[in-house]
Amino acid sequence: MTTSQTTAAVSNPRPSSQWLITLVGVALLIIGCFLSWSYVPALLGNLSVNFFPGAIQIFMIIVGVLGLFFLLLRKGLFPGAHKLLDSARGLRALSVTAAAFMVLVVIVIGLQAPGLANADPGVFVTLVGALAMVAGSFRMPSDPTVDPITVHLPSWVEILVIVAMLTVVLFGAAYALGQEDGTVFSLFLLFLAGLVVALARAGLFSWFGVIAQRNRRVIMLGAFAVAFLFPFTQNGSDANMSIATQVLIFATTALGLNIVVGLAGLLDLGYIAFLGAGAYVSAMMSHSAFANIGWKPPFLVVVIISAIVSSALGLIIGSPTLRVSGDYLAIVTLAFGEIFRLTVNNLDGNNGPDLTNGPNGIPGIPELEIGSFNFGDTHNVLGIPLGRFANYYFLLLVVAAIIITVFTRLNNSRIGRGWVAIREDEKAAEAMGVNVFGLKLFAFAGGAFLAGMAGSIKAHQDVSVTPDQYIFLESAFLLAAIVLGGMGTVAGVLVGATVLKLLPEKLRFVADYRLLTFGLLLVLMMRFRPEGLVPSQRRALEFHEDDADLAERIEDAHIEAVTPMEGRA
Amino acid sequence: MDQFLQQLLNGITLGSLYALIAVGYTVVYGIVQLINFAHGEVFMIGAFGSLATWTIFFKGQLGLWVLPFMIVGAVLAAVVVALILERVAYRPLRHAPRLAPLITAIGISVFLQEAVRLFYPGAKSALPFPQIDMVTGPAFQAGPVTVRRSAVFVIGALVVCAILLWFFINRTKMGRGMLAVSQDPDTARLMGVNVDRIIAVAFAIGAALAGVAGVAQGLQNSNIDFFIGFMAGLKAFTAAVLGGIGNIYGAVVGGLVLGVVEAMAVQFIPGTFGGSPWKDVWAFVLLIVVLVFRPQGLMGARVVDRA
Amino acid sequence: MTTSAPERPAAAAPTGSPVLEATGVVMRFGGLTAVNNVDLRVNQGEIVGLIGPNGAGKTTFFNCLTGMYKPTEGQVKFEGTVLPPKPRAVVQAGMARTFQNIRLFANMTALENVMVGRYCRTSAMALTSIVRGPKFRREEEATRARAQELLNFVGLGRTSEHLARNLPYGDQRRLEIARALATDPKLILLDEPTAGMNPKETEEAKQLIFRIRDMGLAVVVIEHDMRFIFSLCDRVLCLVRGETLIEGSPHVVQSDPRVIEAYIGKPDEDELEEEAAKEDHA
Repeated sequence: MTTSQTTAAVSNPRPSSQWLITLVGVALLIIGCFLSWSYVPALLGNLSVNFFPGAIQIFMIIVGVLGLFFLLLRKGLFPGAHKLLDSARGLRALSVTAAAFMVLVVIVIGLQAPGLANADPGVFVTLVGALAMVAGSFRMPSDPTVDPITVHLPSWVEILVIVAMLTVVLFGAAYALGQEDGTVFSLFLLFLAGLVVALARAGLFSWFGVIAQRNRRVIMLGAFAVAFLFPFTQNGSDANMSIATQVLIFATTALGLNIVVGLAGLLDLGYIAFLGAGAYVSAMMSHSAFANIGWKPPFLVVVIISAIVSSALGLIIGSPTLRVSGDYLAIVTLAFGEIFRLTVNNLDGNNGPDLTNGPNGIPGIPELEIGSFNFGDTHNVLGIPLGRFANYYFLLLVVAAIIITVFTRLNNSRIGRGWVAIREDEKAAEAMGVNVFGLKLFAFAGGAFLAGMAGSIKAHQDVSVTPDQYIFLESAFLLAAIVLGGMGTVAGVLVGATVLKLLPEKLRFVADYRLLTFGLLLVLMMRFRPEGLVPSQRRALEFHEDDADLAERIEDAHIEAVTPMEGRA
Repeated sequence: MDQFLQQLLNGITLGSLYALIAVGYTVVYGIVQLINFAHGEVFMIGAFGSLATWTIFFKGQLGLWVLPFMIVGAVLAAVVVALILERVAYRPLRHAPRLAPLITAIGISVFLQEAVRLFYPGAKSALPFPQIDMVTGPAFQAGPVTVRRSAVFVIGALVVCAILLWFFINRTKMGRGMLAVSQDPDTARLMGVNVDRIIAVAFAIGAALAGVAGVAQGLQNSNIDFFIGFMAGLKAFTAAVLGGIGNIYGAVVGGLVLGVVEAMAVQFIPGTFGGSPWKDVWAFVLLIVVLVFRPQGLMGARVVDRA
Repeated sequence: MTTSAPERPAAAAPTGSPVLEATGVVMRFGGLTAVNNVDLRVNQGEIVGLIGPNGAGKTTFFNCLTGMYKPTEGQVKFEGTVLPPKPRAVVQAGMARTFQNIRLFANMTALENVMVGRYCRTSAMALTSIVRGPKFRREEEATRARAQELLNFVGLGRTSEHLARNLPYGDQRRLEIARALATDPKLILLDEPTAGMNPKETEEAKQLIFRIRDMGLAVVVIEHDMRFIFSLCDRVLCLVRGETLIEGSPHVVQSDPRVIEAYIGKPDEDELEEEAAKEDHA
């Protein structure tokens, strides 16, 4: 592709043939969505009504509208934006998504209707439209784009973009959780993935990345606001809040583990046991009939005790191990996980003192009560009922906020620098006076502290604690969330935890292959994208020692970020 | 005293099994400084490989002559899986940060367990292992001690494997190449040693022994399941550390010591913390104690942390 | 402690009070003696050169001084007290070093590298870092300012936000020196600070070392470039096969026939290789 061609594609007011073909494709795609796709009303959430698109038809309409946007972008209708976004690459990804989506829909109709005789013309109109988009967009030349770092928009525009993005996330999450039909949910995922890929190919995310970098605080507060508002969209329904709460407790635990793995670079495979230690301490001090400790302090005291017990265990395990070599820690923590499981199994009164009630665990843990606020009750806020799970959800949100604060602030401090230095070159760090052992132990025991804290809440939320909740595979699962999302980033872990916890909940057929997939995921991620989906730049650099371009790019971005505003052109 | 001798024998039997697996950790660690977490799973694959061999070719046969075929089946399965792992998962990460191969190993470990659980017919619960004549069946008395036939097989297998290993390392070119690579991989490469091949051989040797151990486990316990690799792997690693990781004979000694300690703990630790529910706990406590007081292991490995 | 006469008559007169006194240092690896009974005394404001052919045990000796190795025999006294053989304690006491094969934190910026050097002189712990207390802010600001100052001092002021791994070779060596200086040392040990540099850069490095000396620091330099060493140092120690061949003023060492022989004559091949392997471990 030559430059002259490219410029022509952007500035030439006379539409080229590829452009027209794509436009026709988009038009057919949208028109088809307003027609019936199948006679069978029970299929895929009712697609049988003309001019009244069902859910999955709306997905395709969104794809069509986005395609239209890209097409208009090519004609220079949005001055400035075409420099940022490569519309051709976006269109290609979009059209492939649409085509794949429609093929799947046709297959589903063929299988479930059953028989293609039950398909209406609308579905084929849309399919043809999608194929026309493919044909058109793949012959389109790419646009030259500029590095998003150099583009400066007024800050209110940037904040508006962030708000818009977060709103989409909020409603997308609410929609996804509300989806009962597994097939529709899968199609939604395909649509979502396609959309993300298309926008990423067009360069939108690198631009978002730059914006996010510039408006860290806004993003954080915004994301927190979205998470806070989520229960209000659920209208008191416990079904989704239960899942959301589980996702949140998983994410909170993973965030704690990410301090250990992502920041300090220590592979802790017994993390779930620290969570379990906290949960058990909390359960043993609760008012459960099976709790064998006579002392029942208020919950805030219990949280502290749970955290201290966990971190004390961390110190006992960590202090001999961390002196040796990093690899040993992994396996010793693995062994610790087993010791924990066996111990709580054995402390049943027959094989040892009766503390944990053995394999049956401690059931009937009462609801949390802080002051006069009972977490089991439904409370009405602004007329919206917030049930039991919503209460725990808010509490966990506070804990998550604490852990995120600890995470980011430690990362940007003397201690965080020490951790990076240790990860980079332990010997050199030691020779420069960094307290290598102390910092490692701090990360390890500190991570255990946070896990103990989360565990003490989990015990109440789960109502019971049993040994089989706290086994090695759960630790591996946590690790998978971190590796998928990105070691050393908050956003990454949130993404990873959400994906890994949500998918098996919504897709039962995934649930059986869950662990198989996660094992494979760990291997593939380490091989092809070790820094995760939302990488920390430093981690990306560490995993790509030989990539000079990457280093240049990150350096440019960093210099740009630290240069004061008035210094810029 | 009789009880002591009995537990000693039980310990040595158990320890021989650990030792066979531990060699795999230590050989690989000695050469690439990698803890191959998935090694326990290779052992499990070996056990299933021998079971599959029996089910496919010799179903119903229980004569001693079947045993060699089952061992070959186990070793083949284990070696093939280990070589694939090495080639596909570990080799590309040889120059990656330390965390990468460790996490990969965890992934492989989970993947292999699940693959067997989901795809091996009937493996969602424990499967009976063929009880071969001569090596199973009624125990016999040797003085005050009751000797299980499978114990004789396990101990014998360890002795034979140890001798073969000694010959391989000290009497073959490949074995000397392994020593060279473990001392200094870069120089060995310059001297014309094919380092990639040596590493693959190290994985294969470990896997072969783990395969033999898989058969032994099946005969000992009379059934196998997809989860046996987890605990066995942990114990064998403990044995390897106990003997001094990187030191092959150390792994053998470490395995035996660990087995005996476990057996004695069951018998001689008084009160509620004795007894078999706690024996695994004591094994891991031993691991931590060794790391505190003698991180280089009983036999003294070479420098543990090659910076 | 009285300023006793130098052990060897050839040594130059001390220019200040002794900072480092290493006596009878022996380092054995198995059967191999890498460093055999070496003495070294460094005074305040003095530049001492350490020369010797490849594998003479120079870096091993450095490692003994800085606590990376625990010497088999002998003792290392810093300002009159014997140091524990722990790198961190050695840095804390005021002895910093650079490495022969550059060991920067490659994925940190130049500024961050130097800030890591400040670690042992700062003390903000977890709690104040998390709540961003006044102590944290004060200390963080001071650390940053000091690091920038040191970068300016070594001539890297303009590249403070560049990644260490993107810096040219010569700048990386200077950054290592800045990082070592950030630990507020009284003695700095430079392991081949001009290796791989062109003549212009070498000259700049020399001026930099003089400026460090002028700040009142003692400097020990390992180098192969004879012209550089003899024009830089107040005193030179020549090691051959782990033993002191000669110690004295540059003039004396330069004209000693044994030094020339040591460099030109071939040392035993095997020993050399083993020695090199040992040095790689450092």
